[in-house]
Amino acid sequence: MIENSSSNTKSLPTLPATKRVTLLTKPRLILRGVLLALALITIYSLITLDRAGLKFGEAFQSLGVNLKAMFLQPTVGQDTWALLLRALATSVGLAMLTTLLGALFAFFIAVFSARNLVPGWLATSIKAVMAFIRSIPTILWVLIYSVVMGLGANAAVVGLTFHSIAYLVKAYSESIEETSTDTIEALKASGVGFWPIIFQAILPSIIPALLSWTFIRFEINFANAIAVGAAAGADDIGYYLFMASGFYFNFHEVGLIVYLLLGVAIVLEIVSMKLRGHYLQKN
Amino acid sequence: MLKVIHLNKTYGQTKRSLKDVNFTAQPGEVTAIIGPSGAGKTTILRSINQLIRDDSGQILLDDQDIRQSNKAGLRKIRHHIGMIFQNYNLISPLTALENVLHGRLGAKSTLAGVFGMYSAAEKSEALRLLQEVGLGDYAYQRCDQLSGGQQQRVGIARALMQHPKMILCDEPIASLDPKSTKIVMDILRQLAQEKQLIILINLHQIDIALDYADHIVGINSGEIVFEGPSTDVNDQVLQQIYRQAEQPEQAVTANEH
Repeated sequence: MIENSSSNTKSLPTLPATKRVTLLTKPRLILRGVLLALALITIYSLITLDRAGLKFGEAFQSLGVNLKAMFLQPTVGQDTWALLLRALATSVGLAMLTTLLGALFAFFIAVFSARNLVPGWLATSIKAVMAFIRSIPTILWVLIYSVVMGLGANAAVVGLTFHSIAYLVKAYSESIEETSTDTIEALKASGVGFWPIIFQAILPSIIPALLSWTFIRFEINFANAIAVGAAAGADDIGYYLFMASGFYFNFHEVGLIVYLLLGVAIVLEIVSMKLRGHYLQKN
Repeated sequence: MLKVIHLNKTYGQTKRSLKDVNFTAQPGEVTAIIGPSGAGKTTILRSINQLIRDDSGQILLDDQDIRQSNKAGLRKIRHHIGMIFQNYNLISPLTALENVLHGRLGAKSTLAGVFGMYSAAEKSEALRLLQEVGLGDYAYQRCDQLSGGQQQRVGIARALMQHPKMILCDEPIASLDPKSTKIVMDILRQLAQEKQLIILINLHQIDIALDYADHIVGINSGEIVFEGPSTDVNDQVLQQIYRQAEQPEQAVTANEH
């Protein structure tokens, strides 16, 4: 040790003198450059913004009035409580139906896109198709099916299910791929066929993951159902939200609907936490 | 009786292969395959139930050639060949009892298998087998809560549930402590004697092989270099089996796992 340090001190002075130590690596430099450019663009656009005679004071004041109407004075407007609650139930039902249908189809497709179960080319091609479907937003699929089937709940169900399948196939097949090939091989070695292995060996191993993914998709579908309700006229809460905000300008009702949705979201979150807790305990 | 005749296997471009492998294994006996890592022990074992497709040769189980069977026939033959593994390969979130019942899946129709429909007789048999391997109290425990030795015994019970003629054991004690090793090996020897099963074991540990096996097959670089009763194994034979094995051993073991 002592010998080492003495030899180090001899060579030390030459090292830092020639080159300054820098922590600015290339990726960091790029990151700083991007941030600087974004800041400059922001400043430039704020300066050159066309305010079109907008009075900021009044604008913020009326924003405050609207927000107050929405969140502090929520009431029913042109629609009744019964109607809104029924529409809310429609949204939850839409989300539930499309998630269940999606999960069912997705499971069987996922089996054929898991690398440890089927040949690589089949898995890859199915995954590619699913990635394509996934890359187009749910709302667009609903609109596409609205063109095919006409506006209404049918298009909403098919469109939402379609995207759910693509989403869940990815999640499910990755869960399946995580099960060890050794355990699959053990059953194969005792002459067990393909489907019994899926349902007796793989399914029990991945149920917590499947439930978790399906529930996340349920939450996504609930949010989508609201947006889709407005777009496809599925007569759910999204439709009434759209009408109240964009047609009747009744911000009191908009606020009420937002609170209703928030309530449902909280309930969903609690249920999913309990569900996951239950399965985590078992694992 | 298991008869392996002129078995050959080449893996793509790699050097590991089987070269004209011949040996027999008798019911009622423990037959151990020993040899250095990478010699082809696992390949032989997995060729027997065709988890690995070999290139040429014959594998006769009670005079039926396993290699000649079609897909359905192979499933049927596999159902009568139990297999246990170094890593037990159980479905860990399921109970010991459920894992043992899996031994019957191969005999069921697809639908009965998918829904896991087991008869009352099968369930009580599974419980009895668990008791036989000393795990009667653990039937309803999840397998990932069992120790390695206990899991291996569940694996044995699962193999027995198949009503096998033969049990293939791929390094069954490589992950076990000495006490569990003794329990597992005692069970395997007892099974060979009492149920007249063919027990074929891949082993790393020479002392265990000599203690427990009746019949020894020694393999080196894919070739059988010794076959005979374990009483005939002497230092000279061991040297022949393990010749030139010291150096490549490390590298090959790292490849295998």
